[in-house]
Amino acid sequence: MKKSSLILASAGALLLMAGVYLAFFVAPDAVVRIDDRELVRYSQKIFYFHVPVAETSFVFLLLGGLFGAMYLGTRKRSYEQMSYAAVEVGFIFVLLVMITGVLWTRADWGVWWEWEPRLTTFLVLTLMYSGYFVLRSSVQEESAKARFGAIFSIIAAVNVPLTFVAGRLDSLKPVHPTVFTLQGASMEGPMLAAFLVSMFGMLLFATSLYIMRLDLLRAREDIEYLKEELEVG
Amino acid sequence: MAAGKQVFAIVKKDVLAELRTKEMVIAMLLFVILAMVVFSQAFGVILNDLDRVGGGLLWVAFLFMSMLGLNRSFVHEKDEGCLEGLLMSPIDRPLIFFGKMLGNLLFLSIVELFAVPIFFVLFRLELGASMAGIFLATIFLSNVGIASVGTLLSTISINTKTRDLMLPILFLPVIIPLLIAAVSATGGIMSGEELTEVYRSMRFIAVYDIIFLLVAYALYDYVISE
Repeated sequence: MKKSSLILASAGALLLMAGVYLAFFVAPDAVVRIDDRELVRYSQKIFYFHVPVAETSFVFLLLGGLFGAMYLGTRKRSYEQMSYAAVEVGFIFVLLVMITGVLWTRADWGVWWEWEPRLTTFLVLTLMYSGYFVLRSSVQEESAKARFGAIFSIIAAVNVPLTFVAGRLDSLKPVHPTVFTLQGASMEGPMLAAFLVSMFGMLLFATSLYIMRLDLLRAREDIEYLKEELEVG
Repeated sequence: MAAGKQVFAIVKKDVLAELRTKEMVIAMLLFVILAMVVFSQAFGVILNDLDRVGGGLLWVAFLFMSMLGLNRSFVHEKDEGCLEGLLMSPIDRPLIFFGKMLGNLLFLSIVELFAVPIFFVLFRLELGASMAGIFLATIFLSNVGIASVGTLLSTISINTKTRDLMLPILFLPVIIPLLIAAVSATGGIMSGEELTEVYRSMRFIAVYDIIFLLVAYALYDYVISE
């Protein structure tokens, strides 16, 4: 493991642990009033984990599409590897969003699933990027694999906002809570602090995963190259 | 050759090939009708309330039918070496996309023109003349999106090991936003909803069409050139 990724991973892990501490011991508990009784909603604590994971997944999937476009423009192999690694890391976080999200909807809404714009968008996103990996594994020739992968990563990135907007058209009424709007965040003080610490921790951790994966992809290609050299020689 | 002429030449080639074999349009039409029969048997009683679910059924049938056609339109190109011929012909590369896309759009629309009346008869639905225009406009608008995304993705899928199996996996999730809007628009028309709601969905379909027409046009060259 490279030193840079090790430092990033440790910094990310420390921040994430600090985030867990802040979320449980510093940030105030979410309270709901039902018939003059105050109930503490501990399930709200997953917010400090679920939302950073979701935003990290968006960042990396967007980067995947961006690097994909750069690969198509320049045909430099390194961009293709960057695109693939970014989509891979993004996909891990998409799966984490689905798992944490489903746990939370069960705890808070009483159901495992609800056809709601955000949930629908993420399910479509999960299936779309699953298709990305199936597509890549179904192409043998390296250059075609790179081209098709890059093209689909761009299409998928374009499709995510469209799915979200379409979901809001009518039948699917948004019930998912919204914290961040154009007017700013609807939380402050310790809550915001706990969230931001988790958010940066998650981003650092994901970046370290991305760098490690990229190194691995490059090393694998070097080995392939050396193998061919040996066979020819 | 002027751009329009080049695109027209490709469309003409596809139409001529179809007129000689007549295999694609007839198979697609039969598929849609069979899908309606399957729906009527699978859902039975619920179909009495078809004003609300009819739009959905129609789109399920159309989406699967369009995948059938999209796959066919490239199997020939690939198997008979037509794509190489197209690439070697003095046609601007990006125009190949418009040629193939317009061909797909044409076949899709022709089949649907026959399928919609059959659908209305089989499920005892009625629409006023003014509504029928908006209904067909919605379908045509959606076809543009289906043909753009479908042309791009079926060219990709035909070049993979799994070939036609790959198309639904790539195509369906990408078409979901269009499906949501199309179902909401046609459903709204059939159940006599406010037209402003219908127009909102149609506007979304138009935006989707423009975005994916541009994206597919920009990316198509990278799919076909090695």
